Amino acid sequence: MEFSFIGTLQKILVESGFAAFADDPRSLVMILIACVLLYLGIVKKFEPLLLVPIAFGVLMANFPLTGLLNPPDGNGNVGLFWVFYQGVQYAVYPSIIFLGIGAMTDFGPLIARPSSMLLGAAAQFGIFSAFLLALALGFPDKVAAAIGVIGGADGPTAILTASKLAPEYLPPIAIAAYSYMALIPLIQPPLMRALTTQKEREVKMEQLRPVSKTEKIVFPIVVSIFVILLLPETAPLIGMLMLGNLFRECGVTDRLSDTAQNAMVNIVTVFLGLSVGCKATASTFLTWDTIKIIILGLLAFMLSTVGGLLFGKVMCKLSGGKINPLIGSAGVSAVPMAARVSQVEGQKANPANFLLMHAMGPNVAGVIGSAIAAGFMIKVFGG
Amino acid sequence: MLGNLTGESFLIAISGIVIVFIMLAVLCAFIPLISRCVQMVESRGRKAASAKPAAPAAPAPQAEPEPAGGAYGGEVMLIDVDEKTAACIMAIVSHETGIPLSELIFKKIKAL
Repeated sequence: MEFSFIGTLQKILVESGFAAFADDPRSLVMILIACVLLYLGIVKKFEPLLLVPIAFGVLMANFPLTGLLNPPDGNGNVGLFWVFYQGVQYAVYPSIIFLGIGAMTDFGPLIARPSSMLLGAAAQFGIFSAFLLALALGFPDKVAAAIGVIGGADGPTAILTASKLAPEYLPPIAIAAYSYMALIPLIQPPLMRALTTQKEREVKMEQLRPVSKTEKIVFPIVVSIFVILLLPETAPLIGMLMLGNLFRECGVTDRLSDTAQNAMVNIVTVFLGLSVGCKATASTFLTWDTIKIIILGLLAFMLSTVGGLLFGKVMCKLSGGKINPLIGSAGVSAVPMAARVSQVEGQKANPANFLLMHAMGPNVAGVIGSAIAAGFMIKVFGG
Repeated sequence: MLGNLTGESFLIAISGIVIVFIMLAVLCAFIPLISRCVQMVESRGRKAASAKPAAPAAPAPQAEPEPAGGAYGGEVMLIDVDEKTAACIMAIVSHETGIPLSELIFKKIKAL
């Protein structure tokens, strides 16, 4: 064999990823987008736990010739990200994330004030209006349904719905959902101030009644039985959410609760982020549809906030001014960020106002509501 | 027709939001019922426990003092009192009685 140093160097360069950029320079744009997302996650701290792995997934997926996304070729070779992606494809990761959310969530405020459920329902308005807007923009019905679910402000639910109804649109939908969740403190306050009066924002709410341990244990069991029997499509999300909560409340599974809300959710977040990011290749992401989805996602978030706030105003009137309508905006899931925004805005209007616990009721009701809305969409369009 | 928007799409959207409302409204109605059942069962359990005569021979282990009502979750109902004032009142009561705050249970603080 005749070895030539220059020849080998030439071969390495010709077969390298750098040379392959010439075939599809759009990959360079995607790498730039990945760097912007990394900047937003690391420097601006926009949902960094998810945005950083998503952005790195985008980066890795757009390096040419890596074969990371290759399906099994029959000779025992398979791309690493293809394997990771199966967890999204079969809705494993979103369901495990819901297990963790359940283990982290205290349903006490919702049990103490069950009317919060209605605020959680009203804040799903954005899902269905964004669905109509997406149809008006020419998206097929399945894709429109998946886009609408961004309005639920619930990343795992949006991912699960997109993976079932519109897998080709999963990356923009997931990125829009998580980016807007991070932007809730910027998106919601102007709407909250525009739709409520100073007097309404100043309303001080009575302290919630104490909730017994037994009530907290029975709640996840009853919700699972009722919701899953009525809408079986919600089983992966509602079932895991309630199981996680049962781990937390039953008092005999502390180790499982701890694992669900820490180690397990962290591990799955890495896989989920990489899997979503790796699907954002130039051919699927750099399209007008992505821009439309980003705009529709923002509208969906805003309309959900409006729905919650307007219903909050109705409840304020019906209760004789005992309910602060600001807690309505927390009906978009995004636990606990949306509740924190209600607290901050309430305290700006009246420094003696403590709305956090009151807003947690609609907030967790929003998680259940968005899972039901997603289940409805899957039932209607999934068949 | 605009894009893929049809009359049926509106029907689906309206049905969707109505179903979400109905399901959450049913849960909203269910929760107080469940709470009442749980409270009834708990109060019956307490009554049964208090009605049982104490065994004369073996001394019963010291039970944790259970607050009246059973459902006490560590929260104080504040009526026309802000949290700062309530915290001061609780600290004063603890100091005057010599009972540590961790052993005191406040159910309600009301301005007169």
